[in-house]
Parts: sequence; C-alpha cells; structure tokens
Amino acid sequence: MQQREEKQLEGAVESLTSRVAHVKNSLQSFIYKLENEYERLTWPSVLDNFALLSGQLNTINKLLKNDKTPSFRNQVIIPLLLSPDRDEDLAKLTEQRVPVFSHEIVPDHLRTKPDPDVEEQEKQLNAEAVRIGPDAAQKQIQTLNKLCSNLLEKLNNPREDRDSENAALRQNKPSFNPADTTALVAAVGFGKNLSKCRPPGPVAPGHPGQGNMMSGGPTLQQVTIGGASGHQGNIGGPVASQQTGQPGKMPSSIKTNIKSASASMHPYNR
Amino acid sequence: MEAPPVTVMPVTGGAINMMEYLLQGSVLDQALDSLLHRLRGLCDNIEPETFADHELVYLLKGQQGQPFLLRARRSLSHPAAPWHLRYLGQPEVGDKSRHALVRNCVDVAASHSLPDFLNEMGFRMDHEFVAKGHVFRKGTMKVVVSKLSRVLVPGNTENTEQLSLSSLVELSVLAPAGQDTVSEDMRAFAEQLKPLVHLEKIDPKKHT
Repeated sequence: MQQREEKQLEGAVESLTSRVAHVKNSLQSFIYKLENEYERLTWPSVLDNFALLSGQLNTINKLLKNDKTPSFRNQVIIPLLLSPDRDEDLAKLTEQRVPVFSHEIVPDHLRTKPDPDVEEQEKQLNAEAVRIGPDAAQKQIQTLNKLCSNLLEKLNNPREDRDSENAALRQNKPSFNPADTTALVAAVGFGKNLSKCRPPGPVAPGHPGQGNMMSGGPTLQQVTIGGASGHQGNIGGPVASQQTGQPGKMPSSIKTNIKSASASMHPYNR
Repeated sequence: MEAPPVTVMPVTGGAINMMEYLLQGSVLDQALDSLLHRLRGLCDNIEPETFADHELVYLLKGQQGQPFLLRARRSLSHPAAPWHLRYLGQPEVGDKSRHALVRNCVDVAASHSLPDFLNEMGFRMDHEFVAKGHVFRKGTMKVVVSKLSRVLVPGNTENTEQLSLSSLVELSVLAPAGQDTVSEDMRAFAEQLKPLVHLEKIDPKKHT
C-alpha cells in the first residue's frame, strides 16, 4: 500500500516536472523572440505563442486534477541538510540559478504561506464575509449562480439566437459605411462627384457628373489666339458632337471649335 | 478603343502583361486609428509610409463608344519624384468565383512634362483628386488607406475639400496574368480585417 502510493507520488512528480519544463522552455523562446526578433514579429505569431503557453498550463491543470495524482497538499518538504558551500550538482540541475542550498534560499524556495499582501487581502475578505451574515450571503450566492447559468445558456445556444440579439446591440458602432464605399469607389473609378468646378458666368447644364475641366488657363488662350497646335478648344460635349470620324480630320474640327470659343468667350458650351 | 481581354491575346514578346487584383472597402474616420493599428500588426514590419498624391485622369474620346482612360499621378510630398502613368483595363469577367477584381495594368514612369505631353496627344483631363494616406505592404500585397479630396480650383492642390467622412481602403496585388492563388491569399487577408472593414470586389461600372 505504501509502496503503491510512493510510486504514484513519484510518477506524478516526474510528469509535473516535465510539463513545467515545457512551459519554461516555451517561455524562454518567447522572451528571446520578443527581445531579439521584435522587428520581424507579427501579431499572429505572438498570439500563437500565447496559445501555446495557455495550452501547456491547461495540461498541467488537468494533470493536477487527475484522480490518479495523489494530493500534494498532504506532503511536507523538510530540508535535511543545509550548507553554505557551493553544490555543483545542484548548480547544474538548476542551470546555475541555485548554486548553494543554504539558510538564505530555503525560506524563499520552500515557502507554503502566500505573500504578505495576499494574506492581507484574504483576511479582509474573510472579515467581510463574516460581517454580512448568513442570509445575505446566501442571497448573493443565489444571484451569482443565476447569472452564471444564464451566461452559460446564452453561450451554449445555437448561433442564430445569439446573432439576432447581438446584431441589434451592435448597431451603435459600425466602423464602415457601405454607401461611403460606393461613393469613394465611384469617385476613384470614374470621377463621380469630382471636378464639379464651374466657372463664373453662364453655367453649362447637362454633364452633371463629368467635368468640363481645363487642364490650365493658358491652353485656352493659345487656342483662341493661334490654334496651330493640336489642341482642342473645348472638351467633353462639344468635341464629341463635332467630330467627324477619322482622327485625320481633327484639324478641321478644331477650326470650328475655335470659332465658337472666341465667339462666346467661354470655354464651356454645354 | 477597348483592348480585348489580356489572357486571350497571344504573348508576342516584350514586357509581361501585369494584372492588378483589387479589393476595395472603406472605413469611417472614427475607426481609422484601430484599422491602422491592426494593419501595422498584420503587415510587414517596416516604418509606416504616408503619402500625398495628386492624380489626374485623362480621357481620349475616340469615335467609338468608350473613351480611353489614363491616370497620371504625382507625389505632393516628393515634388521632384517622376510622374506615374497608369493604364487600367476593363475588369476581366472570366471567373465568377474569383474573389478579387482583375484587370490589366500597365505602369510607366514619366517626366514632369507629362500633362503637356498628354494634352498634345489629344487627351483631355477629365477629373483630378488628391489622395492622402498610408501604405502598408505584406509580401506582394499592398494595402492603401487614403482620404480622397476634391480639388476645387483646377491645378491648385492647396485648396481641397474632403469627399466624405470615410477613407478608402484598397488591397491590391500586381501579378502576371493567370495566377489564381493570388485572389485566395487576398481573401484570407481581407478576412482578418473584418469586422472593421469589409473588403470586397466592387465593379465600378455597376454603380454608375
């Protein structure tokens, strides 16, 4: 009976040591990555590291909850020999973190009491609990249980129920507006709503979306004065309606445009 | 003046035909910061680049229906940098299941006499706008978050007025024709930006 328990204890301690070693290794590699490779680090890989640590902590928890694991609380650790001399084996075992097993390190490494501030907090909580009285305490316990069961129900229910509630709640904070998307894409794609700049004077109706834009003031002057270059005086509507067909005939249409431009003194006919 | 779909034309040498794969969305200004943070985390970890560009769109009206469109872009933050001229073809209508808008794309750099040259060629400037924002990269994917402004006085880029309270978000990849895995990668990346932004393939013609 004793031997079986001892063997169980030994086995449990060994597996616990190996799990803790895994956690230590992954923590070490993660810290190394954060310190040295932070320029190349991406958020998904940081999330992966955190997920790995959380998984390992989970396995340790499962191991401790396992039925076959003896209760570690019943075990007591007593140091049998303390010496101020450096112990090489211990140093190697702990990777140079604990070179000496002396009176200084024992209170730190073998403590079972919680930290002083944690103890304070526990005392306060206990005093509070005693102060409330058993009835109020019972009521609070019941409310807490109800809330937890409600939450569990909501989480376990099928997705459709959940989504219909959430959709109503999430209306207050949309982060994009589909109408804006279409407006912006239209603006970039073919200039909708852009270049609405009208000159002073008789405003040309007709082309609501597209521009009768000049590429610059001087070009119009050139056309009205000389017209020798391949410039067209008017753009948009007038050009399309007066072009005759082949590109070779462009010069003839230019003359027509020049006339109308100098006649009305406005580049925008339509 | 419409070019036939690029994948049908025989390759006769010269440069490779590049296709632009595009997904677009928008984000409201109040969510812009969270989007920038998320992009900063998801994309390659280089210093975030801001840009301010002035784009002019030139049209050449041919005698057949569709006008020929060229986009000339210059940087307002680097005035000495060359102009960038781009031709974007019609979106390919091949595969309905393809997740991104695919169109032919030809990019060239040009000198500062580009507007005059285009005018001489017969192009007329149809519209212009100013885009300011951030550029992020992830591998071959490029994410551009930009605020568009309309130019009130033609040629004067100081006096601009914002088009809307949202910023345009574009995810694009330039790849040679025929690579369909690109759109899968783009869709996976777009999933990571939900629910802040919904990047989707928006056909500009459908919303005329």
